[in-house]
Amino acid sequence: MITEPRIPDPDGFYAALLAAHEGLSEAQSADLNARLVLLLANQCGDQAVLLACIRAATEDPTTTRTP
Amino acid sequence: METFAFAPAYELPVWPFTPPPELGSTKTVRHPIVIVGAGPSGLTLACDLARRGVRAVLLDEDDTVGVRGASSRGICYAQKSLEIFERLGICERIAAKGITWSFGRTFSGAQEVYNFNLQADSVSKQPPFINLQQFYVEWFLVERILELGRTDMRWKSRVTRVEPLSDGVRIEVETPAGRYTMEADRLIDATGANSPIRTQLGIEAHASRSTDRWCISDVRFSKPLPAERWTWVDAPFNEGRGVWQHLMADGVWRIDYQMPEDCDTARISQPEVAGARLRAQLGPDVAFEFVWIGPYGYRDHLLDSFRHGHVFFIGDAAHVVSPFGARGGNSGIQDAANLGWKLALVAQGQAGDALLDSYDAERQPAAKQNLQVTSRSARFLAPRSPAEHTLRRAVVALAACHPFARALVNTGRMSVANDYPAAPQLPEGGRSVQNLPLRWADGRETTLMQLLADGTRCIGLWWAPARAEAKAAVDATVSLPLRLLAIGGDSGLPTLQADEKLARHLGIHDAGGFVLVRPDAYRAATLPHATPAAIATALRTALAHDTTP
Repeated sequence: MITEPRIPDPDGFYAALLAAHEGLSEAQSADLNARLVLLLANQCGDQAVLLACIRAATEDPTTTRTP
Repeated sequence: METFAFAPAYELPVWPFTPPPELGSTKTVRHPIVIVGAGPSGLTLACDLARRGVRAVLLDEDDTVGVRGASSRGICYAQKSLEIFERLGICERIAAKGITWSFGRTFSGAQEVYNFNLQADSVSKQPPFINLQQFYVEWFLVERILELGRTDMRWKSRVTRVEPLSDGVRIEVETPAGRYTMEADRLIDATGANSPIRTQLGIEAHASRSTDRWCISDVRFSKPLPAERWTWVDAPFNEGRGVWQHLMADGVWRIDYQMPEDCDTARISQPEVAGARLRAQLGPDVAFEFVWIGPYGYRDHLLDSFRHGHVFFIGDAAHVVSPFGARGGNSGIQDAANLGWKLALVAQGQAGDALLDSYDAERQPAAKQNLQVTSRSARFLAPRSPAEHTLRRAVVALAACHPFARALVNTGRMSVANDYPAAPQLPEGGRSVQNLPLRWADGRETTLMQLLADGTRCIGLWWAPARAEAKAAVDATVSLPLRLLAIGGDSGLPTLQADEKLARHLGIHDAGGFVLVRPDAYRAATLPHATPAAIATALRTALAHDTTP
């Protein structure tokens, strides 16, 4: 799993993500996120990396932060 | 309200109870092999043994086939099972009666989101699947067993108690003519999901029960539909729940409807209620008649070990999975074929008890894999939380336009011949070899199953061996159950024509390569450059002989 920055325009990406959610209900946002996760997972296409990402996402960084 | 007709009930065969010699005798008879339960796995085992010339006693508490009349349980017979039936001599009958299919389609709403063609990966003489009501398969097996004449079939014979002995098992049997006791060197429990033998021996099955509810309608109608497996994740004609549609013999369709978890099972299986569902699916003008209606919930269990001393568990007695993918009955049939040749070689003094341990070492992991696969299908079909519903909605939505998401749509992964893990008797692990069509050097046709149907021997396929090596290998294995065959060349061995399909299927292309195929058509060893000594060692290893020098 790569944790070093790789997104060329982080602010632009984040803005596009927010724009996609604009005006959606909570349920619609959840549906959008789920579709996005699946699309991105297929871009990655590496089983070990996908499982590492699931693990990393499962650990809430705000409670398991290491110094 | 529309009323709905039922077809006349099937007339199933009944076999007579014949009082066995043990009744009225004070002497306890000891039998080498006793099988309890004449369902698909018990019958397959008895038939497999009989085909090998091995006698067995088969006990069943009933005197007919099927469960609760003609209610069909299993319907899909997978290629590996069909290859076993081919070797036993009933596959032609099954093919003539049943529905051959290889194509499946999955729908969401009115849209097709996924399809598969299982024929694409097949090199076998048998098709990927044949659908047939389970009672027909049992019927054909019983008639074949009677024809082979090696099995002591005891109908109306209920096992009331088993007692493990140091060298076997004592069995108490209840019959219409009284009770008797007998002993067995080995007892095979094929009594199904509710095995009283398992319960009596106190063996933990790790059972769990799903809250998902379904209702089967077996129905005959006139609408022409293709003989394909159709599944809906969320059918518009079933309130957005799952539906399965499959054709069986005699023009009977198995339509299986997912129901709400909290449904009233008595109400949803009333003919008027089931009929209204069918009317919504088939449209207003299609006439239909019911053959059978039955609500069910599914469950699963898995024994930690399929062997307990002299007692072996096969089929549902050992493992139960949810029905998605037809992995229940098929794995029971394949349990039987795994155990049959091993029991036969032990009975014939050509292998020791250690070979029987490999039954558990191979079939328990296969069942564990089937449990994992079917549990994943069940979970896709019955999401357990709002998050699971959200993810499934995403999969189905994406599947409509993106091919990658179609692989995530899971309405059952069809039964396969499971690979076996590496183990002492299978150093490379085991993979099934399909029933390849073959040709002798003189042009006569044969198949792998025909070669394996002749006695209980492994088959050694050797690509163009040298004449002296072939002679030495025959000498080195003369006392062992092996039939050595050459693929091409001029070795003096019985020779099959070189064949690209065979070479590709087994991954051997060069002269000197060798594949050892077990009597259950699993590959036991691959030797890229075989020698007579290496062949003999590979064979002894596969038979779990003591190979320490």
